[in-house]
Amino acid sequence: MMAGNASGDRHDTARRFREAALPHLDDVYTLARYLLREPADAEDAVQECYLRALRHFDTFRGPEMKPWLFAILRNICRGEFVRRSRAALTIDGETQEDADAVPLWQEPALSPEAQILHQRDANTVRRLVAALPEPYREAIVLREINELSYREIADVVGVPVGTVMSRLARARDRLQAVLALSPLGTLR
Amino acid sequence: MSCELVDRHLDSYVDRELDLESAKAVGEHLKVCVVCRRRVAERESLGRLVQSAPYYPAPDRLRAQVAASAGHVKTRRRLFAWAAAAVVVLAVGGGLSLLQSDRGSDTALIDEVIDGHVRSLMADHLFDVQSTDQHTVKPWFLGKLDFSPPVNDLASIGYPLVGGRLEYLGGHPAAALVYERRRHTINVFVSPEREGAADPATATSVRGFHVHHWVHGGMSYWAVSDLNDTELIEFVRALQAA
Repeated sequence: MMAGNASGDRHDTARRFREAALPHLDDVYTLARYLLREPADAEDAVQECYLRALRHFDTFRGPEMKPWLFAILRNICRGEFVRRSRAALTIDGETQEDADAVPLWQEPALSPEAQILHQRDANTVRRLVAALPEPYREAIVLREINELSYREIADVVGVPVGTVMSRLARARDRLQAVLALSPLGTLR
Repeated sequence: MSCELVDRHLDSYVDRELDLESAKAVGEHLKVCVVCRRRVAERESLGRLVQSAPYYPAPDRLRAQVAASAGHVKTRRRLFAWAAAAVVVLAVGGGLSLLQSDRGSDTALIDEVIDGHVRSLMADHLFDVQSTDQHTVKPWFLGKLDFSPPVNDLASIGYPLVGGRLEYLGGHPAAALVYERRRHTINVFVSPEREGAADPATATSVRGFHVHHWVHGGMSYWAVSDLNDTELIEFVRALQAA
């Protein structure tokens, strides 16, 4: 193998990788922010994700770059970051939920108007989502925020489409239950 | 058709992932069942609510680091950082107008200041001396500069000093003091004041970076960061008062 060609190939690969992968950086970072609660951990995970993606770019066969990056990110989040982040993913989602559940309905009383506004505040939604057990949280974020199809979610998570469906259903049932418990949590 | 059908397919129906035939069957049932119609409506409301959860654009610094690690090295990666920063400004909206209106004769120096800031973030060369102790950072510059830069830690008000390094500004050596605010880095370049080098007081925003310049005690200061300008001004005032 000639060094010159190898270097040229590498250069070309890196360029193709940047063109394909960098446009998804915001999506990847957003997913990281929902999988890991510390922004600093999310940044580290995304950096590692892009390093690994570049390293394995020649094995990427498509069709879509975004789910591929998500799958890599997810593996990273389940791997080393599980030790580093208190908020990291746990297999036993039920236990984690008990610890992290946000008792919205115990917040200081606000006026009804303020409560409606508060209810709809984006960060409140974030906290509701963050309080979900990990498999549900992951499914709902991939679906509603990253806008993946069932098939793509199944590929990213490595489970059958039917499992994706039931996780989404449970995630939504739980969100609706929490919203119903909060004072003005009726959905319109 | 029965409610069981909706039990089974509620989410895939709402998500438009149901096959045509089943979707049609669900649609027929919804026409006659107010309870199921309500369930669908609730799911759709929930979807809109969850979609309003925050979306997180990648921070500038992460974008620069990722681009750099993906092979944008040497000459090209700097270009990319500018492009990335410009895109961020465009996304925020209106930022570019500052490019024309606020820049005076100090343009070249301001460019150097921002350049130094971006380079420090990208090349992972933030520090020559990494310490949160001003009594470590200050002596480090001894013998490396022909002046002694004032070094003040502002950790007490949330802007900890994290280190320092040598820089060149306008062709002259300068002390770069590095502060942090959350995940944002603030570079402060300090060098002896030179006659006519720059307006004594300059504040500008270029490509999403805020730059403040002032002169105090014979020293010329440049503070630069992608931190929001309100906090950067607070930081500058605290440093001026220190």
